[in-house]
Amino acid sequence: MQRLSITASLNGTTLQFDEAAFARLEAYLDDARHTLAENPDQAEILADLEQAVAEQCRKRLPTERQVVTLAELEPALEEIGSVQVPDATPEPEPAPRSSPRRQLEQVSEGALISGVCLGLARYLDVDVTLVRIVALLLLFFTGGAMIIVYLILMLLLPFAAPQPGAPPIGKLPAKSREFVEFVRGKLSTAAG
Amino acid sequence: MTAEPKLAPIRKGLLEFLVLKIVGARSVYVPDILRRLADTEFATQEGTLYPLLSKLRRENLVEYRWQESDSGPPRKYYRLTQAGRDQLTALDDYWIRINRTISDIGH
Repeated sequence: MQRLSITASLNGTTLQFDEAAFARLEAYLDDARHTLAENPDQAEILADLEQAVAEQCRKRLPTERQVVTLAELEPALEEIGSVQVPDATPEPEPAPRSSPRRQLEQVSEGALISGVCLGLARYLDVDVTLVRIVALLLLFFTGGAMIIVYLILMLLLPFAAPQPGAPPIGKLPAKSREFVEFVRGKLSTAAG
Repeated sequence: MTAEPKLAPIRKGLLEFLVLKIVGARSVYVPDILRRLADTEFATQEGTLYPLLSKLRRENLVEYRWQESDSGPPRKYYRLTQAGRDQLTALDDYWIRINRTISDIGH
């Protein structure tokens, strides 16, 4: 059986990876992206790293093979090393932000369905009951079209990180979260 | 008890100085820098070097230009800017001074 391979473009260099190697590569780059989240040159450093990964993998790939596996990728990443951020430059510190920028998310902890209303309430800084009543009214007045809006939001909105002292996630929100993550997984495999 | 945990931050702090010295000697690309440091106490990796170089570039100490390569994609060749050369001279002087202080003190 032909094993599934994924073609990845690493800063302009095209390489094929098997599934395990591709997942490892994505995890490495995600980690780097996360480490560089505050870095103004994030995109450029990531491009440099992608190119380094491509060169290291190609160097290790036996000539008779096209697809990079973990056997090549692991030593390549080992040699490149995880991303280390240099110490902060003595540039003038940017003024501390008065409040963290609020982002529209869904909140699993204490949710009824998936946490869209709860997230919306947090975003708008209003009582969640109010949001739920409005959502229910809309559900009746739109003859059910609200369900589609809810489903779309559920699939699109990121899950908020649990806040300290948050209630445990209920059964339905847990199921819903599982479902959303499953669908997203399917979608990203289809896109990649 | 080993002194190693106390030496690591010294190396880390000096890496930037050494990278400036290497880039100052001639125009280099990242594998050149890695090779030059590989057999020293300052051996480092691309995951460390790329963010450091981008920081130096942001501070306007180094600049790079793309250069075609016979094998593979074009490469970034780094060199010092005038500000980088000034800083390297200042660091060199400072290094000589603190070296003297360190060997003189306690005798």
